[in-house]
Amino acid sequence: MEKIEMGNRAGGARKRYPLMKDSREEILRKVILGLYGDPEHKEGGIPTRDSERDFAKESEKLLRDRIIIANRLLEQFIKELLNVNTEVREAHGEKELRDYIAGLVHEKGVSSFVMWESESLNSLGLKELLNGEGLQQVISNDKNEIAEAGIGITGADYAIADTGTLVLMTDGNRPRSVSLLPPIHLAIVRKSDIVSDIKELFIILKQILDTDQGVPSCMTFITGPSRTADIELNLTLGVHGPKELYVIIL
Amino acid sequence: MGYEKINFETDSGRAVDDEKLQRALVNVTNRFRSARQKASSEVPGWDELRTLGREIKKETIENLDRYLLMLEENVKKAGGQVHWARDGEEACAIIIGIARRNNVKSVVKSKSMATEEVELNTALEKAGIRAVETDLGEYIIQLAGEHPSHIIAPAVHKTKDDISRLFSEKLGVPYLSEPEELTKVARERMRSEFLNAGMGISGANFAVAETGTIVIVENEGNARLTTTVPRIHVALAGIEKIIPRYNDLSLFLTLLARSATGQKSSTYVSFITGPRRKTDKDGPEEFHLVLLDNGRSGILANEETRESLYCIRCGACLNNCPVYRKVGGHSYGWVYSGPIGAIINPQLLGIDKAPELPFASSLCGACRDVCPVRIDFPRVLLELRHEVKESKAEKGKGFELFIERISFRLWRTIVTHEKLYGAASTLMYYLLKPFRGKGGNLGSLPYPFSRWTQDRDFPAIASTPFRERWKKLKWEIGQGGPGKGIR
Repeated sequence: MEKIEMGNRAGGARKRYPLMKDSREEILRKVILGLYGDPEHKEGGIPTRDSERDFAKESEKLLRDRIIIANRLLEQFIKELLNVNTEVREAHGEKELRDYIAGLVHEKGVSSFVMWESESLNSLGLKELLNGEGLQQVISNDKNEIAEAGIGITGADYAIADTGTLVLMTDGNRPRSVSLLPPIHLAIVRKSDIVSDIKELFIILKQILDTDQGVPSCMTFITGPSRTADIELNLTLGVHGPKELYVIIL
Repeated sequence: MGYEKINFETDSGRAVDDEKLQRALVNVTNRFRSARQKASSEVPGWDELRTLGREIKKETIENLDRYLLMLEENVKKAGGQVHWARDGEEACAIIIGIARRNNVKSVVKSKSMATEEVELNTALEKAGIRAVETDLGEYIIQLAGEHPSHIIAPAVHKTKDDISRLFSEKLGVPYLSEPEELTKVARERMRSEFLNAGMGISGANFAVAETGTIVIVENEGNARLTTTVPRIHVALAGIEKIIPRYNDLSLFLTLLARSATGQKSSTYVSFITGPRRKTDKDGPEEFHLVLLDNGRSGILANEETRESLYCIRCGACLNNCPVYRKVGGHSYGWVYSGPIGAIINPQLLGIDKAPELPFASSLCGACRDVCPVRIDFPRVLLELRHEVKESKAEKGKGFELFIERISFRLWRTIVTHEKLYGAASTLMYYLLKPFRGKGGNLGSLPYPFSRWTQDRDFPAIASTPFRERWKKLKWEIGQGGPGKGIR
């Protein structure tokens, strides 16, 4: 662009343009001559380089490893959830997630729900879905009303693969009661939030601790539905907290 | 409801004869033992983690003053209130005071050994405040008017039949034989208690100095309800419950659940930092932490037994103790039972109140081998035995002590002189011959040796001493091969 303008100012593009073309030809010719000693030499295709190939391979391997680790964590997490009497489902995409939830509330005959108002949950369109399915949403903060809801739906800030644990942090949009008072708790976990073990989790938590905000007023680890073994060591579910726990991994 | 005088000898005798209890004890301790064994063996470097746990606890206890102040500061910073209770009475008074100021008529309680220790329920009742235990096991115990018999399974001494009867008698429901049905009744009863209670009282498994966070570990969800639903939450914690840093929790939570029930993680772990924040939609409006001394600073003063304060109350020592497994929790006569009860009951109550407990052990060390913070129980027990012998409880037994001392001195002289030992054992063989009972053991000896034989037999002295047999054996082995003398 600039060169053309300069050419104009110099008094005619017609004269300038071929000159430019000549320069291009000339430089290229000089480069080829200098390299191969023959101005007519032709080398086709994109040059390759050993180190570049390695680098690409490295990145591919890194990505593969990460996927393997993520899948291994997912596998472990699912296994541990099953060990603690939890129903778990992997949803490939939001549609599958919504279909599954719609099926679940019908199967359980649930007529009302209470849900976190967090951004990531709101973006899934669950409210619209459940309203469409004829469920009432409990929006009150009244503990008696929340206790009457048929299902409580939450996300999870993190999940621990090693123990099958959900990590829930409280804030204004994420009350503690939603995962506690209704008889069924449904938690939606993003695959990327699964960490390997409690040690890894606390490394992450330490970073939260060091921010101005500090630790939340309440953080809860949930590993399976409420349980007791106080009567002759018989395992009984749902003594105080939810009797059923469903986890969907997105 | 209050605790009576500790009487280990009588109570343990009764427990051993109770067939129902014996079956329950075998059942629970075996289950917990194998679960712990499995869960701990899955963790790489488990024993190193135990060592680390001990080191952190040691460092904490040795700097307890600083960590307590740090904890206080951070609880306050999070909007909570901190109270200090010298003893049980003061702890109860503080909690009743909080209840009265807020016009609280009924409270819900989640499982807490500390509230059991200060007998809070009795105090609340006297003050006209209704207190409901909400852990199913504790609820059963409360209905029955009894005390917990295991740190983590308080109603383990009750059979299903006992509980079915208890529920139909106290709650006016029909006789329910299924644990699910019984649990359902408890859930319904307790739900309304939670929703109507003015205050929730919990213990604390850990109190993190760095952040002022209280950590509560449980399976039922009653502790979550206790700390979430009522308007006020009060946590009572012994001053030794402190953990310095937030990150230390990853270690202690790993150690606790696996040592206690053999779970990889308990169902619920709540990390509570102050009351609800301004924007929070639920959670208590007030948070109170009551720090309880009640004899703990006294334990701190004794360097020899200080490590008793490292305990994180997992109950593994109970399940693995051959004595606990026979005598059960109630024999220890106070809140804490098993090896940990044997070392802290005498120290918290005063050695004169529980002089039998340090002797309620075979010193086999099974407790030390499973302890997640590696408390050296046998060493502490020996130290306490020494204290018992020096204490007032043993005054008036001057004659016995004299006999004991003379006997041991005599014993030392005899065993360090071979000829004397030979002569003495031959003499004893003939002297004791008339006391032989069935099977050749000595079943009953005259005073003061009757103190031994009233509980157990004493093996009789062999007719051919080992020294004689050894001479023959050595010769036979010398002839090539194991001697015929080995039988």
